[in-house]
Amino acid sequence: MFCSISSFKNNIKEGRFGVNSCKNTGIKSSLAPRIIFTVVGLAKEVVMVLIIFLVLLALVLIGFLIIYNMLVTLKVRIENAWSQIDVQLKRRHDLIPNLVEAVKGYMAYEKDTLECVIKARSQAVQANGMKDKSEAENFLSQTLRSLFAVVEKYPELKANQNVLKLQEELTSTENRISFARQYYNDETARYNTQIQMIPIVFVARMFAFTAKDFFQIEDKSEKEVPKVQL
Amino acid sequence: MPFSFIDIEEKKSRVISFLFVFIILFYFLTAFLILFVVENYALRSEISFKYFFWPPLNHIAVIFLIALLVGFCHWTISTSNLIDKMSLVIGAEPLDAKDAYHQVFKNIVEEVSVAIGGTRLEPLVIPSAGMNAFALQDFNKRACIGVTEGLLARLSRSQLEAVVAHEAGHIKSGDCLSTTVICSLSEIYETILMKMNSGFRGLRGRGAGLAGLVYLVIGFMNFMSKLMRAFISRQREYRADALSVRLTRDPLSLAEALELISSRWRGEGLPEARMESIFIVNPKMNSLDDASGFISDVFSTHPPIDERIAILADMAHLTHEQIEERLKNFKRVSPVVSPETKSAEGIFSTHGRWSIFLNDAWCGPFSLEELMKIEAVKPDTWVTPEGHAVTKHAYEEGALIEMFKERGEKNDFDCPHCRAPLIEMSYEGAPFWRCSCCEGSFVGQDKISRILIRADKVFSDETLRLAGVVMKEKEKFNLGITRTKMNNAWILDCPKCRSKMRRQFFVYSYPIEIDRCASCDSIWFDKQELEILQYLYENKEEFFDGKGF
Repeated sequence: MFCSISSFKNNIKEGRFGVNSCKNTGIKSSLAPRIIFTVVGLAKEVVMVLIIFLVLLALVLIGFLIIYNMLVTLKVRIENAWSQIDVQLKRRHDLIPNLVEAVKGYMAYEKDTLECVIKARSQAVQANGMKDKSEAENFLSQTLRSLFAVVEKYPELKANQNVLKLQEELTSTENRISFARQYYNDETARYNTQIQMIPIVFVARMFAFTAKDFFQIEDKSEKEVPKVQL
Repeated sequence: MPFSFIDIEEKKSRVISFLFVFIILFYFLTAFLILFVVENYALRSEISFKYFFWPPLNHIAVIFLIALLVGFCHWTISTSNLIDKMSLVIGAEPLDAKDAYHQVFKNIVEEVSVAIGGTRLEPLVIPSAGMNAFALQDFNKRACIGVTEGLLARLSRSQLEAVVAHEAGHIKSGDCLSTTVICSLSEIYETILMKMNSGFRGLRGRGAGLAGLVYLVIGFMNFMSKLMRAFISRQREYRADALSVRLTRDPLSLAEALELISSRWRGEGLPEARMESIFIVNPKMNSLDDASGFISDVFSTHPPIDERIAILADMAHLTHEQIEERLKNFKRVSPVVSPETKSAEGIFSTHGRWSIFLNDAWCGPFSLEELMKIEAVKPDTWVTPEGHAVTKHAYEEGALIEMFKERGEKNDFDCPHCRAPLIEMSYEGAPFWRCSCCEGSFVGQDKISRILIRADKVFSDETLRLAGVVMKEKEKFNLGITRTKMNNAWILDCPKCRSKMRRQFFVYSYPIEIDRCASCDSIWFDKQELEILQYLYENKEEFFDGKGF
């Protein structure tokens, strides 16, 4: 009854639409135009759907690429931020021996504090892995704070230009570490939010973009509520 | 999302290309108007507006080509070597590596550079006592942040950090580049204007027509540089404030810094004040900045300072009045140990041994004879006398000064009074030369503001007494008489460039007689005069009923 599918295709290809194209199929002439119009209309729709489908597929692919590239950029930025923290931590480790050397002569009675700083430093240098590292660094920060509390007690130390200079360098390094940490955490927060958002989450799942950890303060003294003594 | 730089980058390039089109259009209109005037007045007798509304096409083509050429030249000249040129105009210099204040500033800039994710920032300093800060950026992503000596000396570390973060906010949010380009573009006009003003004053009599045309062009240029300012939005200051708070998480320090900057001399009158839009606070006080409304929104480059402080104070849960109250007792903690405080403990023995600080380490102690042979010991080397836990510069030890003289320290300059070699020392972190005979001081032009603005020095009673005497004398003087008496007294030769030095007052408010070199502007102070001047400057509230001068 109907024309074969292959002949439709041929018709479409060669642009022959109309009565003549179906003459050889032997359909009665009164019925033929109506059926042909329906069939040709159907074929047009199929093609349209095909084109739309292809375009959509291309769009999805492009979106896919854009999202993937964005995720990679964010991830590399986080890695860079992390290496920044490392650079600043290294800087602090290098400064501490100088500081100890400068202070040593004056602080004969404060050997414990100095040894504590040296020990904390060597621990921090050896620490590996995120958790170990942040613990060791927080311990180092604590000991340094107590060292500077001691320095305050010695007027000659406070009047020593060299110690002042080192103190400034160390303050600056502490600031840099906290800024680097802040930047790292900001970038991590942005990345973590992105990989949980709706279109992005599919790409992230597919290529195993997992959430990153924040660089947190594990310092217990900083978390404690300060006790007020009346 | 926190600041997403991708959108900003797009916006940045749009502003810049818009600016270029604007310049071409401007030149086109100017050239057209000039042609119109020439066509009407020079070639025809009667004025015809037909030409104005319907000019021949080939004329338009020629004018357009000319405009394109001129605009392109202007653009290329202005945007090449952007940062070096601009810092030359502003008078900004690289940091002094030896100076403790500069070291702190360098550290702060590096900290902020870490905070914004590692963009390299170059620190610069303007040797001026005014209070201001600026940022520059060029097309190669090179970025500079500069502050004045006044800011370094008067702001605390956290306040300075907030100001630097504000400037970094300008750089990161991308408006710094367009501001720098606009400033550089209008800078050419300013230079041409200044040169023309002197050049054409004489010409006016001869060719009034030509001079008229030139003045027309100058008027246009003035108008143009005003118009280009309209590209600089007021909002960017609010945005940079917000970014500064985002980076440092410290709105209070920025509010305090703005309050301190706005309540003092912001640097008006200096050459750099021309480039108002790159500074954190407009160096000129003007009513446009303080007003709100459409016109000031379009033409002003800075928002009202009170509004900015109010927003920041609100973030810190304080009011403007509370911030003013906090600042009343504010005093900056100095990053240097002032040598003067230590010498109060008494003069050290002249015969003894000294430890010296060389190559970042203490060595010694050495005797005087040994020290003679160590070439590396300079007048500003840190020394500690044996048996004392005190550190001081070598030049503060009488015995060591004698040693330097004997050693025949090769000096660049001789004292203009007694011809003895001058010894290089540092005063408030600034290098200067002192004669060990008459104790006069020779100070370079760019170092004087650093000396005056910093308050680390502790003054001797003698200085205080002399300062009192000077101010009493001032009341007796009729300044008019002294001015005529003092002028044109050429007495000394400049130790540096050998030209004559003019004897004058430093400023008429502080009647200190100084000798200023006519060619290099270096200043010679007689004994104690530098200390008195600095004392008067730092305590001007006391002497001028709190009004300043």
